[in-house]
Amino acid sequence: MPKITIDDLEIEAKDGQTVIQAALEHGLDIPHYCYHPDLPIDGNCRMCLVEVEKMPKLTPSCTTVCGEGMKVTTNNERVKMAVRGVLEFLLINHPVDCPVCDQAGECRLQDYYMVYGLHTSEIAMDMKVHKRKVVDLGEMVVLDQERCVLCSRCIRFFDHVTGTGEMQFFGRGDHTVIGTIDDRPLDNPYSGNVVDICPVGALTSRDFRFKCRVWFLNSTDSVCGGCSTGCNVRVDHRDGNLFRLLPRRNIEVNKSWLCDEGRLSFHELENGERLHRPMVKGEDGMQAPVKWSDALRAIDVNLKDCRQAFGANAILGLASASATNEALFLFKEYLKEQIGTAQLEFRLDHEDQKVTEKEDDILRHTDKRPNSMGAIKLDLMSRDLNGLDGALAAARDGRLKAGVIIWFKPLVRRDGDEQIEAKVAELINALQYSVVFTTHKTTWLKDANVVLPVTAWSEEEGTYTNYQGRVQKIGRAIRPKGDALPLWEAFAMLLETSGSKRLWLSAAEVFAGMSETIPAYQGIALEQTRLPGALVTA
Amino acid sequence: MKKIAKTINVSEIAERENSLVKEIFSPLSGMKLTMSRMVQNLTGQVSPTINYPEERRSYSDRYRGAHILTAREDGTPRCVACYMCATACPADCIYIEPKEHPDPHIEKQAARFEIDMLRCVFCGFCVDACPEEAIIMSRETEITAFSRGETMWDLVRLMKRPELKEFGMGYRPNETLVDSQVMFVPTEKVQKKMAGRITLKEDVEMIPNVTYKVQDDEKQ
Repeated sequence: MPKITIDDLEIEAKDGQTVIQAALEHGLDIPHYCYHPDLPIDGNCRMCLVEVEKMPKLTPSCTTVCGEGMKVTTNNERVKMAVRGVLEFLLINHPVDCPVCDQAGECRLQDYYMVYGLHTSEIAMDMKVHKRKVVDLGEMVVLDQERCVLCSRCIRFFDHVTGTGEMQFFGRGDHTVIGTIDDRPLDNPYSGNVVDICPVGALTSRDFRFKCRVWFLNSTDSVCGGCSTGCNVRVDHRDGNLFRLLPRRNIEVNKSWLCDEGRLSFHELENGERLHRPMVKGEDGMQAPVKWSDALRAIDVNLKDCRQAFGANAILGLASASATNEALFLFKEYLKEQIGTAQLEFRLDHEDQKVTEKEDDILRHTDKRPNSMGAIKLDLMSRDLNGLDGALAAARDGRLKAGVIIWFKPLVRRDGDEQIEAKVAELINALQYSVVFTTHKTTWLKDANVVLPVTAWSEEEGTYTNYQGRVQKIGRAIRPKGDALPLWEAFAMLLETSGSKRLWLSAAEVFAGMSETIPAYQGIALEQTRLPGALVTA
Repeated sequence: MKKIAKTINVSEIAERENSLVKEIFSPLSGMKLTMSRMVQNLTGQVSPTINYPEERRSYSDRYRGAHILTAREDGTPRCVACYMCATACPADCIYIEPKEHPDPHIEKQAARFEIDMLRCVFCGFCVDACPEEAIIMSRETEITAFSRGETMWDLVRLMKRPELKEFGMGYRPNETLVDSQVMFVPTEKVQKKMAGRITLKEDVEMIPNVTYKVQDDEKQ
């Protein structure tokens, strides 16, 4: 553990750490382009030059390993001169087309120019070397060779993280460009990451292209709802619309990466019409919009009637692993404590086995539901039914009469989703009395007796438990649509209607209640579920 | 030693310079000005009022009136939808939707560009913010309309400006560049002696789009 001094700040660095890593860890900013915490070190941009005492020349801090008693200066005139020089070199052939560049506002060239540069360019526009612009690199990425500073982050990403090695340097001298051979499209499932790691506007997102200037966006920290990995994401939104998902660095879960499917998963929410009002089927067989309170009272009365007539175990509770822990907890609280049924299920397609099954070696898991582990820990697995198929068979036999069903459509599509949805539709058809909590309108909802609109991903607060058993907080980015309520709130109101003594007023309160009663969550405070998340006990 | 303050006795001077001639003629000299103005007004040589809208006052060259979107030489808008004007706008009255430009060196262009003229406060920040000299201002003041919808000026309305013949160009950051290319050649005006403040409708030749000449070194 060498002790080093950076600008009068004494730091105890970890063994083998380089100067820039130690500095960034302690909140000191050293300008850099090619250094990235999750990529191998290259040291080609020369932006991170620092002065080390007794070293004759300035040295790049990303390749200099901390030594005992090292004295580093990052902000004296000599260093600033050097950095300004490097920046001027990098900007020599830069086209300065910031007005049309999507990176503008979060561009490292702009940021460092304002801090270190502020020089007038000596190079006239017609003296600059011109390269190719708007090169199409597949579904996710647009390349602009002129804006590139040749930091090789993208090349190292494809070489070392995905191992596909699509990108390479071409040419020599100031004609060096990045690209793929013959402009072949990047078709690996992680190509969107190079857009994030590109410090300038050379690689920009095809999906986000020209959608919004970044300074208009608001950000909310959340967790991806695309699969059981639970990658940490930042949701960028404006005026109630989602614009993009960016990975947040969580070294324990997703490092700095996010798969392309997860990155685009929010578009699935825009597909199809949203449900806006609670609907109850009247005596004429038609659904009519009602108030939430009326709908909940009807549910409570009907379920209790059903319990009296057929026994508590004739009532099915089919949860969804896309719901938050809070919602699932109150779901269980209502159906188990108030109704008394043991027929609680969440498995649509063997999620309990698929939850830890890897789809590839980087991030993705086969289970496309974000909170399967949370449902497992809450024990929403009926031995009797053993999944959706069992529930369907029981409903056909007439063993199940009524059902409370939570249906979220998966944000990442896979083959077989239609069959599962068809089975849920069939289940609703087979049940005499069914209550559906869902987000989007579907054709089969007309069979349900009560349909309740709930908030979709990014519209509610809560926690997900990922495949590792890591409880992570998700944030509310945008307002719910119409009368939609967060699922936990709907069940909290249902509990109140049903005469439960305890009132649940916020998601945080529900989480606190959950950590009191559920053994797996014992001792976890909501504060701990932020970065990097808290692990549940076994 | 104490200095003696210098004093001037005004009444003494007044007494000394007073004369009968002045007492009699000074009201008459004032009267002469009044009478001459009266004669000028009666004969129509000078008038404090004008026959609006047949006559209009000419505003300063830096007047901030209704906006103009300038065009490239091929007639397409110069605007690249960078949202600088919308960002700078204190009234939040500019709405832009971008789209892809077929030329990769331009890359981006505005599919929609709308200014809500009722919200606009005519501060000219959009003109200052524009990196492409795509938005400038005219001296046009008449933006009244029969409905609110008409006061939302869209891309076409902001570019095709035949009415600029009457008003002329207003505030613009780069006068030489614009002037060199705006086909805005006022013909010789009939010199009317009208206190120098009033112009009749200017008889000018003007193309509908305001276009820059792209200089040779910029043409890359």
